[in-house]
Amino acid sequence: MSLSRREFVRNLSVVGGGLTLGFSVANAGNADVEGDFEPNAFLRIAADGTVTVQIHKVEMGQGTVTGLITLIAEELEVAPDSVSYEMASVDKAFRDPEYYLQITGGSNAIRVNYLPLRQVGAAAKSMLLSAASQLSDIPVADLYCENGVVKSRDGQIALPYGQLATTASALSVPRKPALKDAAAFKYIGKQNSRLDNQPKVSGTASFGIDAPNPDALVAVIVRPPVAAGPLISFDGQKAKAMPGIHSVFAIEEGVAVVAENYWRARKAAEAVDIQWQPSDSKLIDSTSIDKALSAALNAGDFAKIRKDGRVPKGEPHQLIEADYSLPFLAHATMEPMNATVDPNSREVWVGSQSPDMAQKFAAIGLGIDADEITVHNQFLGGGFGRRAAPDHVLEAARIARSVGKRVKLVWSREDDTRHDFYRPPMKSRLSARLDEDGNVESWQHHLAGPSLLQSYAGSLSSGMVPGWVPDFLIDFGTGMVAKKDSSSVEGAKELPYQFAHIDVGFKNVETPVRLGYWRSVGHSHTAFVVESFVDELAHAAGIDPLAFRLQNLPGGSRHREVLMEVKKLSDWGNAPAGHFQGVAVHESFHSVVAEVVEISIANGQPKLERAYCAIHCGQVVNPDIVRQQMESGVLFGLSAAMKGEITLKEGAVQQGNFHDYPVLRMNEAPAVDVAIVNSDAPPTGVGEPATPPAPAALGNAIFAATGQRLRNLPFKLA
Amino acid sequence: MQKVDIQFQLNGKLQQLSIEDDTPLLWVLRDVLNMNGTKFGCGMGLCGACTVHLDGTPVRSCSLPISTIQGRAITTIEGLAPNGDHPLQQAWVAENVPQCGYCQSGQIMSAAALLATNASPSDDDINNAMSGNICRCGTYGRIRKAIKRASGQVNTWEPGTAERDA
Repeated sequence: MSLSRREFVRNLSVVGGGLTLGFSVANAGNADVEGDFEPNAFLRIAADGTVTVQIHKVEMGQGTVTGLITLIAEELEVAPDSVSYEMASVDKAFRDPEYYLQITGGSNAIRVNYLPLRQVGAAAKSMLLSAASQLSDIPVADLYCENGVVKSRDGQIALPYGQLATTASALSVPRKPALKDAAAFKYIGKQNSRLDNQPKVSGTASFGIDAPNPDALVAVIVRPPVAAGPLISFDGQKAKAMPGIHSVFAIEEGVAVVAENYWRARKAAEAVDIQWQPSDSKLIDSTSIDKALSAALNAGDFAKIRKDGRVPKGEPHQLIEADYSLPFLAHATMEPMNATVDPNSREVWVGSQSPDMAQKFAAIGLGIDADEITVHNQFLGGGFGRRAAPDHVLEAARIARSVGKRVKLVWSREDDTRHDFYRPPMKSRLSARLDEDGNVESWQHHLAGPSLLQSYAGSLSSGMVPGWVPDFLIDFGTGMVAKKDSSSVEGAKELPYQFAHIDVGFKNVETPVRLGYWRSVGHSHTAFVVESFVDELAHAAGIDPLAFRLQNLPGGSRHREVLMEVKKLSDWGNAPAGHFQGVAVHESFHSVVAEVVEISIANGQPKLERAYCAIHCGQVVNPDIVRQQMESGVLFGLSAAMKGEITLKEGAVQQGNFHDYPVLRMNEAPAVDVAIVNSDAPPTGVGEPATPPAPAALGNAIFAATGQRLRNLPFKLA
Repeated sequence: MQKVDIQFQLNGKLQQLSIEDDTPLLWVLRDVLNMNGTKFGCGMGLCGACTVHLDGTPVRSCSLPISTIQGRAITTIEGLAPNGDHPLQQAWVAENVPQCGYCQSGQIMSAAALLATNASPSDDDINNAMSGNICRCGTYGRIRKAIKRASGQVNTWEPGTAERDA
C-alpha cells in the first residue's frame, strides 16, 4: 500500500473558520487516476474545539463510521467518541481508488483508507503542534498532543485544539507527517464501542425512509410482475377516485400512484389494473434456466480461467465427480428500497452504496445536470450490495418531475423481493483424481452461469434508459475490466490447495434476469462448491477433513493459521454427543476465514447448534466490530444455505415476503464464537468474508451427521 | 372509506386525529405524526420492525388499523424512555447490538414487553418473545446477551425526565 507521490492533503480553511483539511481519496494509493487534485473536506477542527469528520463510505451496519473516525482520531490524538461526523455528499474526491466511483462495497473501506485517513489526522496534529509552538515560543520538540490538547512537557502550557485551530489554518500542510508506531496505538486495535449505537437504539437514526420530509407526497409503483416487462396499458380511474390520491400515471417502470401518505397510495395501487408485455425469452422459468445451465456444463465449451500442472496419466486410483447447484438469491434488506426527490430544490434523500450513481440517476429522471443535484445520504437499513444499484432513485426522480413536488417513493416488501438485482444462479461440475495415499493428482472445476458484470452493466444502462451508455459505467467497466472481471469465478480461480493439476473453466450463460452484487459476490457460490468438494475428497481419502485441508495448504499460509485457530476454538473432533461438525476455509476480500458449524438433527432436519469462526484480516481497527461482522456474515451465509431461494415462473419472481422468502430468526440462529488472528499486516476486509465458508461448513456438518452429501442449495434433507 | 375521529394515548399524551379508519397505526405514526422511530419492514406482521406496545402488549403496527386503538394506550420507541436510556437501550449499547440498526426499534420494543412481564427470561422465553423480529445483520446473539444484561434492572429503573437529545 503506497500513497500517491502527488500532494493529497490540502488546507481548505477559510479565514477565522478553524482548521479544515481536505484530501482526495481517489488520488491516494492510486497512480492511475488522472486529473487535477480535487480535495474535499474530511476533517474540520472548529474554534470551539469540535472535531468533525466527513464519512465518505456509507454506514450500512458494517461499522464504517466508527472505523474511519478511529483512524483519524488515532493520529490526531482525540477520543473517537468525541468526534462528530457527517455523511459525505457526492464529490470526485470521495471516489474509491479501486472502483473509480463513490461506491461502498467489496469490503475495502478500512483497507483502502487505513493510511490516507491516518495521514490526514497526523497532518492536522502536526499543524496544531506548530501553531502551539508559534503561540508559546516553545519548540515543537517540547510539545505533545493528548486528548485534544497540546501540552508542553514541562507542564507550562495546555492549549485545547479549538484555541489553536485558526492559527494552524494559516500554516502549510506537512508533506509527510509521521505516523504513529503500532505499539503506540491507543484506539486502533483497542476501540471496541460503536459510535452510531445511541441513535440506533433510540429510534432517532435517520435512514433513507426517514428523511425529514414532512410535506412530501408518497408514491408507490404498480409494476408488471415480469422484470422489465413493458407496460402496455393501465386503468387508474378507480384508484384516482380514492381518498387521499394526488395522481396516477404511467412511468417507464409501471404505474405511479401518488398520495398524501403511504397507506392511501398502497390501497389505491390495489385498484390499478395493468397490462404488460410478456417476456419473449425462453429462459423465463427457473426450470428452463436450470436446464440451460446443465446443458452448458454438458456442452464442455469453457473459457480457461486457470490451468496449473499436468493432466495425470494412466487410470486413476479414485475418480470423484459431482455436480453442484446454487439458486438466485434476493438481498432482503430490512429497509425496503426508497428514495425522496425534490424536483425544485434538486435534492435527493436516499441511503445508497453509490451516491454518485444515485445523483446521475436522479439527473436523468429530472432531466437536469447531475452537478445541480445534492444527495443527502442517510443510514442504510441494510445494503449487502443491493443498495449499490440506485434504480429506485431514477423512479423517484421520474415521478417527482411529473408531480412537480417533493415525492418519497417507497417500495413494498413485495416490490423489494420481486424486483431485486439477484445473486446469480450457478452450476459447477467437479472431478478429481486421488492416488492410493489420498493425494489429489488432479482437480477440475467447470462453472456455468451468468456473467455478473455483463448483466449488471446492461441492467443499469440500457435496461433503464434505452440506448444509454453512461460515462460512469464506462469508468466502472474500465475499472473492473482492467482487473479482469472475475465476479463469476472468484474463489474458484484462487483455489488455495497445492494440487498437482488444477483446471478451472467458465461458461457464460446469459439470462434475462436482473443480477447484482450480493454480499461476497462470486465467493458466495464458489466457496460452497470448492469447500464441499474438498470435504468429499477428504472423506474419499479417509482423512479427517480439517487435517486433509492442512496437509494440502501451503505451509505458513493464512489459511492454515485460521484453520488451526478454528480447530482450537471449536474443539474440533470432540463435539458433544448428538452434535456434528463441518469445517470450511475461504479467502475473500484479502481476508481468510475458517468456520466450523455444529449441528444436531431434530425432527429429521438440521438444527444449528453453534458456529465457530476464525479470521485473519491483518491489523484490526475495532475488534468488536470485526466480531460483529463475523457473526453477521456467518448468519447471512447460513440463512441462504438453509432457506434462500428465488424462483421464476413465466418471468415473474414467485416469492414476495418473509413467509415465502424466509430468513433465519432468533430461535434458529446459533451462537457464533469468533477468534481473530493477531497481526500487524495491513488491514483487509471484514464485511463480507465470513459469509462464503458458512454454507459449506454447514453442508459438511450435515454429511457428518447423516451421510447425505447435499450439493444443491438451499439444503433439503431427504 | 370514511374518516373517523380517533383519540388514544401516545407515549403518555392524548393524541387526537381524524383519518381514514383503515389506516394502519404504523402509517399514522410515520406519515401523519412524523414519528419515524417505528419502521416499515414487510407490511404483513412478519418481520417485527414496526413493533409498538398496545396497552403494554407488543403488536405489529403495520397490521393494526387505527380504528382499533380508540381509547387505548400506545408506546413507541420514542416513548420507551425519555432519554433513550431504558435498561434495554443501555444494554443494547453495552453489547454493541446494532449494525445497520433498522430493526432495532422493533427488537427493543419486543424485548421491553418481555421484561415487563418476565424479569429474568430463559433462553426459551427469549426465543418465544423475539422470534417474530427479523434482523438481517444477524444480531440475534447480542440481542440475547443484552436482554439478559438488562433483566432484573427494569423493575428498579426510573425513567429520566430531561428532554432527550434529538
